[in-house]
Amino acid sequence: MSAVLDRSDARGDTRTVASANRPARRKPRASRDGLSVEWVKLELMRVAYATRGGFLAVRDPRAVLAWYLIASIAPWFTYSTTTLALLFVGAALAAVFARIGPLLLALFVIGMAGQGVWVLAMAWVFSGEADSIAGIVDFSLKVGAVSLVTMAAFVSLDPEKASDALLALRAPVFVGFAVNYGYRMLPVLVDEYHAIVDGHRVRSAPLRSRGFLGHRWLLRTARIAVHSFYPLMLNTALRTRTTVEMLETKGFGHATASEAVRKVRLAHLRFGAADVLLLVATVLAIALAFVLGSAFPVLG
Amino acid sequence: MTAAAIEVAGLAFRYPGADDESLRGVDLRIEAGDFVAVVGGNGSGKSTLCKTFNGLVPHFWDGDFAGEVRVFGEDTLESSVSALGRDVGYVAQDFGNQLVRPTVREDVAFAPINFGLEDWPARTEAALEALDLGPIADRFTWQLSGGQQHLTAIAGAIAVAPRVLIVDEPVAEVDPERADDVYRHLERLNREHGITIVVIEHHAEFVARYARSVVLMEDGRVRWHLPVREALGRARDLEAAHIPVPPVAALVRALDPDAPVPLTVEETLAWVGANAEVAPAAGTEAASVPESASDPAVERAVVASVRGARHSYRTVVGPRVPVLDGVDLDLRDGERVALVGGNGAGKSTLLSLLSGLLVPQAGTVVVDGVDTRASTPAALADHVALLGQRPGEMFLTDSVRGDVAMFPAGRGAPDADDLVDEVLDRFALRPFADRDGRLLSGGQQRRVTLAIGLAMRPKLLLLDEPTSSLDLRSRDDVVALLAALADRIRCVAVATHDMHLVAEWADRVVVLEAGRVAADLAPAELFDDPELLRRARLVPPQITEVGRGLGVRPLPLSLDELLERLVLRPVGAVA
Repeated sequence: MSAVLDRSDARGDTRTVASANRPARRKPRASRDGLSVEWVKLELMRVAYATRGGFLAVRDPRAVLAWYLIASIAPWFTYSTTTLALLFVGAALAAVFARIGPLLLALFVIGMAGQGVWVLAMAWVFSGEADSIAGIVDFSLKVGAVSLVTMAAFVSLDPEKASDALLALRAPVFVGFAVNYGYRMLPVLVDEYHAIVDGHRVRSAPLRSRGFLGHRWLLRTARIAVHSFYPLMLNTALRTRTTVEMLETKGFGHATASEAVRKVRLAHLRFGAADVLLLVATVLAIALAFVLGSAFPVLG
Repeated sequence: MTAAAIEVAGLAFRYPGADDESLRGVDLRIEAGDFVAVVGGNGSGKSTLCKTFNGLVPHFWDGDFAGEVRVFGEDTLESSVSALGRDVGYVAQDFGNQLVRPTVREDVAFAPINFGLEDWPARTEAALEALDLGPIADRFTWQLSGGQQHLTAIAGAIAVAPRVLIVDEPVAEVDPERADDVYRHLERLNREHGITIVVIEHHAEFVARYARSVVLMEDGRVRWHLPVREALGRARDLEAAHIPVPPVAALVRALDPDAPVPLTVEETLAWVGANAEVAPAAGTEAASVPESASDPAVERAVVASVRGARHSYRTVVGPRVPVLDGVDLDLRDGERVALVGGNGAGKSTLLSLLSGLLVPQAGTVVVDGVDTRASTPAALADHVALLGQRPGEMFLTDSVRGDVAMFPAGRGAPDADDLVDEVLDRFALRPFADRDGRLLSGGQQRRVTLAIGLAMRPKLLLLDEPTSSLDLRSRDDVVALLAALADRIRCVAVATHDMHLVAEWADRVVVLEAGRVAADLAPAELFDDPELLRRARLVPPQITEVGRGLGVRPLPLSLDELLERLVLRPVGAVA
């Protein structure tokens, strides 16, 4: 949220500016790439549309879904900390090689670090009962591994691939529709929100000062966030109308009902040897983790 | 008689919750292979009528539907929108939201794939090629300019090669030269492939040049459906429906009411050449010569100044796309500046820089003495206001009054209430003051955005495409309001494709080309420079072209200016 409002506020440009009629505390604005709404928006798009490539993005989407299924279920079948740790490391490697990008990675690391601090705090408060800590660690590893493979898989599937895979696996029509449509609405929502917040920034009263500990700024930010909700919902509803109409006009319903169209749409899918290899290797790696887990147990 | 593509009988439709019927007693027959222009004022039922042709009404809009619509003999009530979609292509007016796929190429391929056409890759490439979209084929659609989005939507409809193609305003937001391309392409589809074309069009010039028949809509009824020449001869009906006849037709009619109605500049030149002659410039002529704004003799105070501004934006994939590449520009007191140039030339980005919403990556922008880098958008809003391309985004509250009052009330202006009342009166918005701006018609929405801009009392007012998608009455309205702003605002700059706006309103034209200022001159000079026009993808207004063809100097910018210089030859003087 703060990034939204602060997008063009001062940050780190040392260019001198010949303007005396602004408060001196304000540093000159600069056009920048990182940590702006624009960057978050682009980063979301890069993630959603699998633009970075990676080892899963080049595979057949059905193989990716199968891989995801295997990799996300495996951690639930063990209580061995060793196995879980190995699975976690494997999932982390998969996430890195699927190129999940800085935004998701940062969110994940922050989440895990928060979890770690929480576990340590618990241990300290309840004077470290080993069993309960082990339980929490195990659970964190499970959730972490599943989160990582989820990110790896979905970063590698753009909406087209995801709905093709679902279509190929004969999932109900509305599932493919929801996937497609959800992805379509993402940039619309972000754009709309951006435009509305920009409007508020320009047209509502500017802050004279940030206030004690920035409380005025916080208040204004919160107010804008709430006030933006009404136009956001209405504008999006109006825009959605056209999009849904056009989906139908362009034969989306027709496509989902026809076997011939299904063939044309899926003609490009190839489940090849490399896809088989990926799945076999994954199963073997997981099996190895289970074997090692029972051979070298840690923490009971 | 050929087969009917579309037959409408006794059609009536009322939107849910509406008091009046949007369509009533409509009977219409569109022959297969026709090129039909549907004309009528904003709110006359044109769009609703066209939505009945592919079943969106009543399948997507449940309202009270009566009567019958048949497409190639098939009752639309018994079919579905997506089944009808194979035969009836539809391009909606709302260009941005009708794109359903992430990239241009995928969006164009979407419909052919859905209809199971095995040759969809070839069709996609052909459609991209036809509209010159190859260079942006892999770009993400939400990062395109409005015009580019519109072209993508049209390409998507063309790729299916339906039997009927309905286009709601084919050239809104499209630069003038590409507008001709779009129409030429529609004409080719019509002539070579026998595709029936139905367009909703506000520009009588395009109707005259490309349509074969015209449907006039009025209050939800079809007033008449006539061959184009006969239709454009019915000036009184058209004017009653706020559809001014094309300027060339008006010109010939003003000279001789009984003359045949010309449809093109060439026909007009032929007729005028045979029947009238150009009078020498009158003594008062010098006064009407538009002053070149770049005339160094008239050095006025600078309101905004751009120096060496560069800007580029990041794309989802790939390198930065440069938009502005070293722009130098001074906007002065009292100027009415039109920024023109092709789609993607950098007009909107330049406006964003001037408004301070963006700061340039290199160079400086100083507005009213304030460097935009040293200030915030909120503080700059005291000096400059930007009214965006999409009026909907300006509506932040639930009433017109609330939106107009937001800025002055938020800043605690002591005269805020009076100011808001005055602005509402001035823009004739009192009747809508308590309604939500989003629910108004396109023309009314533009009025509201202008009112919001005026209530901000900026020194510099920036507008992005203020006249697109407006019928001519609303358009003239906006032009008149813009002209009337002169007493309150020191400088107004408009980014536009509307050459009539340039001719009628602007006194200075800045031509952007590939992110640079390619020319900075007076409108008459611009229209007298064919080479520059071609490069900037501009097409001069018909009247100016006729004037040029007749060798009238200085170039006339309006019908009246041209009429002053033409004298009808006495009957019999021509062999």
